[in-house]
Amino acid sequence: MTVIGTDVARLDGIAKLTGKQQYTGDILIPGMMHAVLLRSPHPHAEIIKIDTSEAEKMGAVCLTYDDILINGQAVVYNERSVSVPAATYRDRTILPNKARHLYEPIAAVAADTEELAYKALQAVKVEYRVLQPVYDPQEAMEEGAPQLYDKVYLGDKEVDICNNIGVSRNISQGDVEAGFARADRIFEQDFELPRIYHAQLETKGCVVAPEPDGGITVWATAQSIHGNRQLLGRALNLPLSKINVKKIAIGGAFGSSIQVNTVTPICAALALKARRPVKLISSREEDFYSHQKYPVRFHVKMGVTNEGMITAAELSALVDFGAHQVQPLPFLGCVAGWFASLYQYGGNIGFHGTAVYTNKTPCCAMQGYGNPQTNFAIESMIDIISGEMGFDAIEFRLKNYRGVGHEFWGQGPTIRTIIKSCGVEESLLKGREIMGWSGRGRHTDKQGRIRHGLGVARGFHTSGTGGPKEGEVIDYSSAFIKINEDGSVDVVTPVMDLGGGTWDAIAKFVSEVLQVPLQRVGLSPTDTKSTAYDVCTHATRGVYCGGGAAYHVALEVRKKLLETAGRLLNEHAENLELVRDDDLGQGVVYVKGLRDNQMTVGEIARQAQINSWGTLQYAGSYRQKNCPPCFTTHFVEVAVDTLTGEITIPKVLIYGDCGTVVNPELFGGQLIGSFGRGMAYTLYENLTMNEEGGFTTKPQAASEPIYTSQPVKDGELLNHGALADYKLPTSSEMPLIENVLVRHTDTYEPTGPFGAKGIAESAIASVQAAIANAIYNAIGIRFYRLPITPEIVLQAIQKKAVK
Amino acid sequence: MSKHLIHLTVNGKEHELTVASNELLLNVLRDRLYLTGSKYGCGVGDCGACSILHGDESVLSCLVLAVEADGWDITTVEGLADGDQLNPVQQAFLDNSAVQCGFCVPGMVITSTALLRENDDPSEAEIKDYLRGNYCRCTGYVAMIKSVMDAAAKMRGE
Repeated sequence: MTVIGTDVARLDGIAKLTGKQQYTGDILIPGMMHAVLLRSPHPHAEIIKIDTSEAEKMGAVCLTYDDILINGQAVVYNERSVSVPAATYRDRTILPNKARHLYEPIAAVAADTEELAYKALQAVKVEYRVLQPVYDPQEAMEEGAPQLYDKVYLGDKEVDICNNIGVSRNISQGDVEAGFARADRIFEQDFELPRIYHAQLETKGCVVAPEPDGGITVWATAQSIHGNRQLLGRALNLPLSKINVKKIAIGGAFGSSIQVNTVTPICAALALKARRPVKLISSREEDFYSHQKYPVRFHVKMGVTNEGMITAAELSALVDFGAHQVQPLPFLGCVAGWFASLYQYGGNIGFHGTAVYTNKTPCCAMQGYGNPQTNFAIESMIDIISGEMGFDAIEFRLKNYRGVGHEFWGQGPTIRTIIKSCGVEESLLKGREIMGWSGRGRHTDKQGRIRHGLGVARGFHTSGTGGPKEGEVIDYSSAFIKINEDGSVDVVTPVMDLGGGTWDAIAKFVSEVLQVPLQRVGLSPTDTKSTAYDVCTHATRGVYCGGGAAYHVALEVRKKLLETAGRLLNEHAENLELVRDDDLGQGVVYVKGLRDNQMTVGEIARQAQINSWGTLQYAGSYRQKNCPPCFTTHFVEVAVDTLTGEITIPKVLIYGDCGTVVNPELFGGQLIGSFGRGMAYTLYENLTMNEEGGFTTKPQAASEPIYTSQPVKDGELLNHGALADYKLPTSSEMPLIENVLVRHTDTYEPTGPFGAKGIAESAIASVQAAIANAIYNAIGIRFYRLPITPEIVLQAIQKKAVK
Repeated sequence: MSKHLIHLTVNGKEHELTVASNELLLNVLRDRLYLTGSKYGCGVGDCGACSILHGDESVLSCLVLAVEADGWDITTVEGLADGDQLNPVQQAFLDNSAVQCGFCVPGMVITSTALLRENDDPSEAEIKDYLRGNYCRCTGYVAMIKSVMDAAAKMRGE
């Protein structure tokens, strides 16, 4: 029996359940110092002078802008390094000489205890020249707005920044005007999605130990150990051979650690200066101000014929990405790609994207990299058009979607693939039966205080960022696998598992290829010194790309194993059979048809060693040359309380297409967890801040007083960086267990290991629109902005009643 | 900062410690007793990752001063299993694949264990209500709630 598709207790399950799993914050090193950060109390200010002398008298080691200069120059970098250098904007340094958002770190202090570090921090004196901030992206582009930057770098080129526009991207295909001309009706609509926060349970942190050879050992919250290694080498001017980043479990990520965390180079520079190990763990409040999800304002235009064909579509996106680029260039490319890949649009697509600097926390990827945002706009639009033109929303989708044989843009315009497996049709057709789609009724038929509605939306995400040609994004992975002398196997992979079960999938692939029992596959607790490169666990590439590399390396080891067995059994390798023998607890090799003459894998490995033939092992790097989409479909039932505006979700059907399901329960866990996050993105979460002091060209209206228990600084989040005042989903908002239905489509991805592709990020893509579409079905009110909170629902209901 | 001598029993082992009056129980457990299973997630009692058992009750150790805990009998996540034998909640979490990143898990199994000591047959609604102070950003809770139901059934001998 194959282990692929079988539920097995996850490899790190016992460690995580017994408190023995180590995370970055659990690293304790004798003599370790504790670091804290001095953060700008101004959202926009030049730093004139920092006086650390009093802090140093207290025994603290301090780091300021002057300490990070190399030959008088600050190294300018981008924290995110998954794009090729020529497509990477660089605008930041380890510490800045200008604060561009509230609580941006501008100095760091390390001391023997955390308490002393905080006391010393209070003794640091900073002189600022306060500048006016700008918060609204539209206003940031206007004449006279404060400028965050004059110049940044794109690759090695210096680039002027005008009107705070960080990036603009225009992408088109076909003839959009001709497409619209062929349409019977044109639809246009604005949509807006808020800034939200990753809220990964482990705050970003780092421990750095200086080594006697001048190098450093690093434990950091990271989605890519090699990304950390390379950036630290560059920022600290250290040879890469002197940096070792350890692979360690991460307490949730959701994109927040694709880039090297801001605290990591600071901690490393401090440790090198102090010549002692330093630990720097963000407080939750600090973490709120380190990275957030990209908010987007969209304008969508679509042309449709009376027969239900979309003839052209245009999407404009305005992105407010905050104080640093992490990095909106590929983000805009991806938004264009997700948009382009949802429907065929008669081949006529126009995209206009603008990303703007503002004095806010920098934005980075958060599950979907623009996909949930784009999907909300497009899948809402599809529902609007269906309703207006009298189409069935499912039939309309089936007529227009991109499926097998069509092109999919896996990572913006430069990384494309031809779709070879697709569960869209199956999920829509079976889903509508399961959820009673035809009986959902119209909102006009619904009565009473609590009104139920059923909505559908479909989405996808890429599996990795590989393609037939190299593009803007780097994508390959590596692995080293060896067979031990008892037939057990060690797998050394740089790939990070963010909790989804990537490591379990990798172990299963190796177990299957080498026919070794899963319990005898060990994943090495490794580091950057002992592994070749893997770009990052992002873009839903863990199983397909990271697992794909392990799969191909395992095939090479298998080849060696059979060749060696052939020498020992006096037989051609092609005539040998390798099977798992559960009674012996390992694999066995025998001549086909002659089971009597067999050797265990352990015997073969041991004999090869005794004969001094070498270890049965292989190390290699591998690039997946496709980026197959994994698809999801959500059917959501909502219940709207028309008296309170409160929305609950009594039932949901989630269809996922990940090709072969490797870990069924973990696959379900991805879909259900993503549903919870999507539900919160749609109904609860919003990072609102005090923007009263920001630049504006509009006459200042008397603003609503801000109600909180403490005063709110200019640029400060109204929740004060506290989870208590940032509504996350808890156990109590989820539907009943029996009403959370999870299904997988019957699909097989020919380019994936054992037919597998990804699932993770696709699982959130269509949640938002499915809920909004269900709300429309319940009460006949369309929401174009998230979150759809009870206050907003109630206002809309009252407004509708007045009409 | 004044110092105080306190006595703690943690996972059955007695400790005598001198602590500062502003020292948090969570930090004492993690930094002084090296029991790093209890996690820092927010430091202000919002997330539940630092939950420990004080007797049979689930308590947020980031909100307790170490001096306040003088004389307490504490169980941390490290003390739930009996040798290699996981407690029923831990075993059910493992069997239901309720663990993802794992950072909330110590607090989640502690709070679930407290619930089952209080009520050996909780309804789904009661479990949801009891766990709402423990955030999990990964799983959407469903597998965890199911695990608590399974553990309860097992403890009742079903």
